[in-house]
Amino acid sequence: MDFYRIIFAYRSMKKEKLILSFVAVFFGLLVAGIAFYLFQTTKTVPSDTNTKTISLVSPTPTASSSISLTLDRPKDEEVVNSKILVVSGKTASNAVVTVITGSSDDVITPSLEGNFSTTVNLDHGQNILEVISIAPNGESITIKKTVTYSLEEF
Amino acid sequence: MIKKILLVLLIVNCYLLIVNVAHAATPTPEDSKQARTDQIITKIASLTAQLKLVEKRGIIGTVTAVTNTQITITDTQNNTRFIDVDELTKFISPAAKGSFGISDITKDTTVGILGLYNKESRRILARFVNVITIPVIIHGGVSAIDSENFTINIATEDGKQMTVNVENLTRTYSYTQGDDYVRSGFSKIKENFNIIAIGVLDIKNENKLTATRIIFFPEIPSNPKVNSALEKVKK
Repeated sequence: MDFYRIIFAYRSMKKEKLILSFVAVFFGLLVAGIAFYLFQTTKTVPSDTNTKTISLVSPTPTASSSISLTLDRPKDEEVVNSKILVVSGKTASNAVVTVITGSSDDVITPSLEGNFSTTVNLDHGQNILEVISIAPNGESITIKKTVTYSLEEF
Repeated sequence: MIKKILLVLLIVNCYLLIVNVAHAATPTPEDSKQARTDQIITKIASLTAQLKLVEKRGIIGTVTAVTNTQITITDTQNNTRFIDVDELTKFISPAAKGSFGISDITKDTTVGILGLYNKESRRILARFVNVITIPVIIHGGVSAIDSENFTINIATEDGKQMTVNVENLTRTYSYTQGDDYVRSGFSKIKENFNIIAIGVLDIKNENKLTATRIIFFPEIPSNPKVNSALEKVKK
């Protein structure tokens, strides 16, 4: 019943009063909008504090040399479950590559592209693997890696 | 009448304001479901990341400090590494007669660590700590030969002079383009040959090595850096 009364009142109102009413509605909506906006801004989004920047230093070349040497296999600190380890990499094509572990060694010449691959035996536990590439003029470059042969499950 | 209308409008405005804020503050069932789903997704992602974060690793290093729960070592690349130790960690030493534990690990001991490496914290949770002796590998040029005492002097790139004892058990090999990698002998070694010796350092003299294996290269001269280091020593 009140609703019809309001409608009736609207009809009977003067123009300026109607405008005033609309202004009041607009103002109310504006206040509500501002309040809602302020409420939304109080919500905080957790920032990712765990992000760290780590600079990696390549441990491979031990000395500056005219020849290069890179090892594809094995990875440093790798744990393997086979006694026989495949060692492969790339160096100068005219170099001589020596692969040494605690119990075995091998001397090989790379392909024309400089690629080489061989196998060496590992001792049980930690092994130091040293790969030395020697150029015909005597210059050399060495890569040292730790490889662990273990069958332990953990 | 006008007053009544304005009052009604004011009430409507207040109602709008309250509904608006209340709607934003009270989570709907859909919101809580979404939040729960997000939580589960985050947990799964975290566990997956943890699985990928940890891997088996084995390292060698020299002990620099020991506590009840941590061993600090300097690895073969001269990096400081932190090793965590717990009740599951096993300590092994070939020289130990009885039980062997973390209290028996002392500074300057060479240890091999096998454990779980956390890529994020960059620490290793040790499962096995072995006291080990690692062979020493010397690469350089032959600077002198003592045929009477069966020793060879090897000059290295860093200017060191190492005396290498050649024993009966020492296996000697040579590498040439023609003969490839073959068994050889002490008598075949000449000055200025490029040479590699593998063995164990003398406890009393750090510049002395007992060789288990020797590999020499008759066709390859010693490194020019070795020669310049030798010249500096002679001057």
